[in-house]
Amino acid sequence: MSKLIRLTIQRQDARESHPYAQTFEIEHKPQMNVISCLQDIAARPVTVAGEQTTPVAWDCNCLEEVCGACTMVINGRVRQACTALVDNLLKEQATIDLKPMSKFPVVRDLFVDRSRMFAALKKVRAWIDVDTYGYLGEGPKVEPSVADRRYELSCCMTCGCCMDVCPQVNDGSDFIGPQAIGQAALFNMHPTGAMSADQRLEALMGPGGITDCGNAQNCVKACPKEVPLTWAIGKTGRDTTVHAIRRWFVK
Amino acid sequence: MTQPVETWFQKNHFLVRRLHSLAGIVPIGVFLCIHLYTNSLAFVGPEKFNEHVKQLHEIPNLLVVELIGIFLPIAFHAWYGILIAQSGRINVAQYGWLDNWRYTLQRVTGWIAIVFILLHLAHFRFAHWFGGPAYQEVVAKGTTPFDLTAAGFIMWLPMGLWMLVYAVGLTASVYHFCNGIVTFCITWGITVNDLSRKRVSIAAAALAIVLLGFGLSSLAALASGPAPKATAALLNP
Repeated sequence: MSKLIRLTIQRQDARESHPYAQTFEIEHKPQMNVISCLQDIAARPVTVAGEQTTPVAWDCNCLEEVCGACTMVINGRVRQACTALVDNLLKEQATIDLKPMSKFPVVRDLFVDRSRMFAALKKVRAWIDVDTYGYLGEGPKVEPSVADRRYELSCCMTCGCCMDVCPQVNDGSDFIGPQAIGQAALFNMHPTGAMSADQRLEALMGPGGITDCGNAQNCVKACPKEVPLTWAIGKTGRDTTVHAIRRWFVK
Repeated sequence: MTQPVETWFQKNHFLVRRLHSLAGIVPIGVFLCIHLYTNSLAFVGPEKFNEHVKQLHEIPNLLVVELIGIFLPIAFHAWYGILIAQSGRINVAQYGWLDNWRYTLQRVTGWIAIVFILLHLAHFRFAHWFGGPAYQEVVAKGTTPFDLTAAGFIMWLPMGLWMLVYAVGLTASVYHFCNGIVTFCITWGITVNDLSRKRVSIAAAALAIVLLGFGLSSLAALASGPAPKATAALLNP
């Protein structure tokens, strides 16, 4: 007789409908992760009460923690479902608890709409402006320490963990969140990107920008890719301070 | 009609937020340090305390200095701080990291400090407005600042309760200021890396211990000196 594991999942049928909980029981297999649990439930969507239901909807893509699509709140902590291994989760609590991320609109069940983060990337111009496809020659040299820091910042996969744990990101606030600040810092450190640094800083100086950070510093602890988010926030705080002084007294 | 005001604040969002941050350190934080130093003289000796308070009262145009240097900055910092506090959703029960506790306590102590400061102003700074005839009688007798303050601690409430209120208000204010030094340094981009933040945190904690020492020792001196017995007789003849 194989071992059974229990999952309580928060369901939601549509964007505006009310969430409700359902509990499922599936057979334990070695090396299971949350995604494989959801696949097993989809194969036989029957609750512990014996009620036939719809398969649970969720979002996933790469299954190796580089795309961020399967991010959800697992046992009360936001993380990726693909790298959340069942045996570890059962050490945390007896029944695995799955909820959608709390700071994004739910599309259905565990599937959320994370488009606000992409809008934020547009707002801070998280790209390098190129005005030609022609060959411009070699780019400027980048110091290795700068390149290392930029690499760390570039690991962001827009998963939304930092947004979900941030007390300043919520439906009553305009705060853009740590992710976009990190990416603004990344492109401001690029030799070509630095030429439009002022535009990124200006975008972060209005309502909902860098000043709305509350310094809870949850973002950096929740980030699965160890992106130096609080460093980026501190650096952007410094850059906006200098930019404001220049704007007021020099320019 | 409120639209233009909102627009002005939105337009100058960065400036207003930075002014809120700055006001917490200068002048409010600096004032807190000076104030608690003055208070600590009560522990050194009533004469020292009386002498120093008399000097402070001799500052020309004291009320104007207080208004511009203390009352207006505190009013702005408190009002805008309430708006900031309302924009956050505390989640420390779910994510109990130390920095998240500090974030949460910064808001909780802010609320306590607002209530405490209002009470404290009515209780001591403007006691001649709120104190009533018994208090006026003590003042009329040419009571020294030390005895007058000690009298305040037996007016309206039992002394034990006053001490509790002041110990809580003092601790909250000191925490709010010292943790505020740490967040000020992050906000302005003074401390960017983790090590510098840790060092500033340690320095701020050391300052908090000194300020708490000043504050609590002055409370102890005011509660235990011979003066309260004399003033008690005055207030409850």
